[in-house]
Amino acid sequence: MNKPLIIQVEDDPNDVFLFDRAFKKSGIAADLKAFVDGEDLISFLTTQSSSGGAPPSLILLDIKLPRKSGFEVLQWVRAHPVFRRLPVVMLTSSAQPHDVRRAYDTGANGYLVKPMDIDEMTRLLTAVHGFWLVANISATGTDVPHLTPSTGNSPSI
Amino acid sequence: MENHTREIEAVMSWASDIARSSASSMTRVDQVNGSSGQAHNEDKVNVLLVDDRADKLLALQAVLKDLNQNIVTARSGKEALRHLLSTEFAVILLDVSMPGMDGFETASLIRQRPATEHTPIIFVTSMNQSENSITRGYELGAVDYILSPIVPKVLKSKVSVFVELYRRTEQIKLQAEKLRRLEEQALKYQLSQAVDRLEAETKRNRFFTLAVNMLAIADFDGYMLQLNPSWERTLGYSEAELRERSGLDLVCPEDRPAMEAEMQKLRAGTASGYFEGRYRCKDGAIRWLGWTAAPFPAEKLIYIFARDITNEKAAEEEIKGLNVQLNRQVQQLTDTNKELEAFCYSISHDLRAPLRAMRGFSQALIADHTPQLDETGRHYLDRIAHSAKYMDSMLHDLLEYSRLTLCELPVGEIDLEKELGEVMRGLENEIGSKAASVDIQFSATRVVAHPATLRQVFWNLMTNALKFVPADRSPRIKVTSEALAEGVRICVSDNGMGIPEEHRDRVFNLFERLHRDPSYPGTGVGLAMVRRAIERMNGSVGVVSSADQGCQFWVELPSK
Repeated sequence: MNKPLIIQVEDDPNDVFLFDRAFKKSGIAADLKAFVDGEDLISFLTTQSSSGGAPPSLILLDIKLPRKSGFEVLQWVRAHPVFRRLPVVMLTSSAQPHDVRRAYDTGANGYLVKPMDIDEMTRLLTAVHGFWLVANISATGTDVPHLTPSTGNSPSI
Repeated sequence: MENHTREIEAVMSWASDIARSSASSMTRVDQVNGSSGQAHNEDKVNVLLVDDRADKLLALQAVLKDLNQNIVTARSGKEALRHLLSTEFAVILLDVSMPGMDGFETASLIRQRPATEHTPIIFVTSMNQSENSITRGYELGAVDYILSPIVPKVLKSKVSVFVELYRRTEQIKLQAEKLRRLEEQALKYQLSQAVDRLEAETKRNRFFTLAVNMLAIADFDGYMLQLNPSWERTLGYSEAELRERSGLDLVCPEDRPAMEAEMQKLRAGTASGYFEGRYRCKDGAIRWLGWTAAPFPAEKLIYIFARDITNEKAAEEEIKGLNVQLNRQVQQLTDTNKELEAFCYSISHDLRAPLRAMRGFSQALIADHTPQLDETGRHYLDRIAHSAKYMDSMLHDLLEYSRLTLCELPVGEIDLEKELGEVMRGLENEIGSKAASVDIQFSATRVVAHPATLRQVFWNLMTNALKFVPADRSPRIKVTSEALAEGVRICVSDNGMGIPEEHRDRVFNLFERLHRDPSYPGTGVGLAMVRRAIERMNGSVGVVSSADQGCQFWVELPSK
């Protein structure tokens, strides 16, 4: 049986390397696959959906990316008929409040700031795995028809 | 002889009256001599009968009784004159032949006095002396004569003619008087009107002359018919020079079409609104005049009120220029802010990545390649990792600091106790681990501030107070507040190492640190943030301290 897949979208090779190292150290029972930009991810997901392959369990998404920003990639995912419920967690350098607000507004499931220490990276990935892949029940690929929001007496938010 | 003397007396008195002339008006009938015993009646006129013979007087009275007038009788010329002095008569019946002063003499005297000059006299004369008497009578100004013996009907009719004449004359006199009074009133009224007009005109002319603004009355071709001295003062032309050309000729060519159009409107009788135009002065200078005008088509006149607005125009231009400059500066500032935002974005996204790599790889090197490294090598790698982390903290604090500058900080009324309470909860562990005591005494609790920013200020001041204390002391912190005239003063005092006098001004500067000792870590941004935050919330901040006496940071914030 295939291991669940975690995708990291990260253009900085240093970060890719250090996270990959931390991931290996953590011994998480999953695969970590990195894409250097949003277009790579989009073409991968598109192929995946047309070939009927298993969708990834989690996407770790950087904000500052070449060409398409993380927010644009997130928008694409949220608009996609198959992947729109995929857990997406931002993993970025910025702790700027406007970046955090915008991420949640666009539909992110979580927001993490890249740690400075490699040990913290390991702890973070372990925590992410424990929450999103073990504890959390996700709706990815369950293919439930999208419920039309009621237009009746639902209270306004 | 005695008789003669009395006559002279009467004549003397008569003569003095003549001398007094007619100036004094005749006393009226109501003062009539009571000797005649006849009651006075206003509607009745007076008739004087003069005869030396009582029977004849009686006869005359009887005849004239029917006329129903006041009859006054006199037995001599002298007595007659006496009556005439006090009473006005419609007619005198005068007997020609009387002893002493006869009728003619009496008549002659009557005629000499202006008041009685025209009183009608009818002579009564006997038939036998009639021819002579009549001639003399007429010479003396008699108006008629009656021959005796008297025919009552003739007498009555003659006297009644004079009574009637007198009445008419009186009436005419009254009417004339009335007319005169009316005319006098009308004249007086006209006179007062004229005086008022003159006064008003004088006042108006005074205003006209005194007015700082330019006033003029012009014809429909723009020639000024009347103008005040302000025109000369403003445009430099003499009044004569201004009169001999149309006002339009003074208008600068670029404004002339608009001015012509305005004149056209005025000629059509449309009151002009406000109009501005440039005028060429005698010395060639251009001055702006702003004016309003009202046309009077019936007279083909235009009333003009003009004002020199050159200075206002210049100020307006200046303001316009300043506005353009201001807008440019605002644009520059906006651009700078945008650049600063981009800079911050770049710091948070790009500059931190290499630091993370430096720290990450040096840590990985220590972790993964320990056998190949000696003590010194590991120490160097530690230093790289530490420096990278320190720079990352600096970048982090710098971002926080610039966020205070760039962010909107909406202020509202907040409760000091509540905000400090939240900060205290966050510091519980640190306070516990350092065995610190915190004493809070607030006497004023309402300030106007941005809550999160005020918490940040409290956080920075409290962590400083906890941090900068010699290791052998437990921190003792006191937080107080007091109401000021226009705000609240908050003080955070500690028992720390204090700030030497010479550094007091520098502690609020960015990246300014007094201690390099690793036991007091920091980036030197905390107090700079406090100052920026308080200033952005319209407050002020300062510090009172002496070395090793602890220090007291004070913050003043508005309460309204």
